[in-house]
Amino acid sequence: MWRRAGRFVAGRREATAGFAIVLVIAGFSWVGPLVWRVNPLSVSLLSSLLPPTSRHPFGTDEVGRDVLARVMSAGQLDILAALAITAVGGVIGMGIGLAAGLRGGVAENVSMRLIDALLAFPPLILALAISVALGAGTTSAALGITISTIPFYARLMRSEVLRVRALPFVEAAEASGGRPSRIVTRHILPHTWRVMAIQASSVVGYAVLTLAALGFVGLGVQVPTPEWGTMITSGLSYVLSGQWWIGVFPGALLLALVIGCNLVADGLGGDTPVSLLTGPRRAPTPE
Amino acid sequence: MTRTVGSRLIGAAITLFIASVAVFVILRLLPADPARLILGPLASPAAIQHERAALGLDQPLYTQYATYLVGFAHGKWGFDYENGTPVLTEVVTRLPASLELGFYALLFATVGAVVAAVASVGARSHAVDRIFRSLAFVGLGSPPFWIGLMALVLFAEYLHWLPGPVGRLGVGIAPPPTTTHFYTWDALLHGRWGTFVDAFRHLLLPALTLGLAPFGYLFRLLRHSLMEVSDEDFLLVCQGKGLTRWQALLRHGVPTALLPALTALGLLVAQLVAGSVLVESVFDWPGVGQLVVNSVLAREYGVVQAFVILSAVAFVLMNMVVDALYVVVDPRLRRPATVSR
Repeated sequence: MWRRAGRFVAGRREATAGFAIVLVIAGFSWVGPLVWRVNPLSVSLLSSLLPPTSRHPFGTDEVGRDVLARVMSAGQLDILAALAITAVGGVIGMGIGLAAGLRGGVAENVSMRLIDALLAFPPLILALAISVALGAGTTSAALGITISTIPFYARLMRSEVLRVRALPFVEAAEASGGRPSRIVTRHILPHTWRVMAIQASSVVGYAVLTLAALGFVGLGVQVPTPEWGTMITSGLSYVLSGQWWIGVFPGALLLALVIGCNLVADGLGGDTPVSLLTGPRRAPTPE
Repeated sequence: MTRTVGSRLIGAAITLFIASVAVFVILRLLPADPARLILGPLASPAAIQHERAALGLDQPLYTQYATYLVGFAHGKWGFDYENGTPVLTEVVTRLPASLELGFYALLFATVGAVVAAVASVGARSHAVDRIFRSLAFVGLGSPPFWIGLMALVLFAEYLHWLPGPVGRLGVGIAPPPTTTHFYTWDALLHGRWGTFVDAFRHLLLPALTLGLAPFGYLFRLLRHSLMEVSDEDFLLVCQGKGLTRWQALLRHGVPTALLPALTALGLLVAQLVAGSVLVESVFDWPGVGQLVVNSVLAREYGVVQAFVILSAVAFVLMNMVVDALYVVVDPRLRRPATVSR
């Protein structure tokens, strides 16, 4: 079993490295607070804006909160939210794509037009609009990002279903009288998982990044709850007066996490360039 | 060909129509009460009633949608209470700053990606390839606002090479006479070298920050297509006719490899639009992106709505332009009008 695992890892060095990065950051966020027992919310104006020392390894912010504790607690929130966004958006998007790919006809046309209309907005802007409408807060930001991820899955799932459906073994299953539901679950869906897993892992990176971006704009997670994006925002006003540590650490973790997710997506996808979620539009084919 | 263009136009029109419905649904129907959203939590019930009537929220939905669409087409984008100007005026005055920044970001990204891709594929060196691929990974994975922050710390605060976040020009430098609305171009047109240098120094950091993500995307795309092209027989033929490997790659490989990158142009514009929201406020760049961030914070509803619609229009138009460009660039797509003369 170990040998198989070793071969699996050796063949996918990039993906393994990416997964390791994600695991390390997750471990830092969840195990860290057990070791570093400092309340991320406790304010102490006397020790505000202290540079990194052994008492505060990442320094303190403008109201004296420990940046290390805040970074760890923010990591939990960001990772959980990103996973939830990826899962919910994935289920809805794949459902739409599957239905469109299987049914065809008017239903396919209508749903794909709707998906196209969602794709007409830059994803961040769509998420921003939805969270403006729902009011600032973690839930509405997460909801906005979730909706903006649906098209990524739906289009890919539809094209995958169309691809797999045309393969001979599906035809064989149909000819030998397999029930449609069984054909879908046993023959079509398993062949879409790899591509969907690649898509999902790049969506995790997108979700973390967008959640931080909305937090940066002031729409996502609200103060005083620590979140990487909002922490970078509050660090912004202190950077030019020399207190770099408030914004640097959360951003570095964010960068590492997103790179980890992209490495996983990339490593699983082989050498084809990751299609940055929506993928490059297909070039028109010469007639 | 006319038919292809026609069907593309109709497709784009349908997409834009549904997108406008989406904006209407998101920004007018989703909020519990748009009037409350506009006036804020402290407004009196009477004022809310009045605002609801003014917005036409007591009308049937289709009337509301029609009024909203007609009003938007006529440039009635609402009033920006924060700045005391109509939203249209505010967007129009700020647009040149964003366009100039976006232009240079795209320029840096494209030039950088072409150079990096050629170096990566042509040099046949693992080290070079790895360096550029890591840079692309950072570009795609980094929050642009954080990269901007790091750039400021390093180049403005620590090294003092470039100015800090103070906008388009330094203190005491007058903007050049307006011709193109791009400060760098205007300064050159009117021969003001000092102003040009100052404007360029001010836009260097924000443009590089904004261009990093498009660079990452474009580099990966170009590297991939250049690798495919470099295996093609026609490059071997070119070398057989006496060109060196580099000459063949640069003269014949790069133009061919650039073709697939054209499809990415729409996506790059979307990246730039979204990125400008995040980058401009870091550098205090007086563009539309900064306006959007300020409006979100001040709950200025009209600005956000206008921006969302405009970015969708820009995205869809860009994709249409790309389709048209494809026909221009790729002769195979130009079907002969008549077979026999």
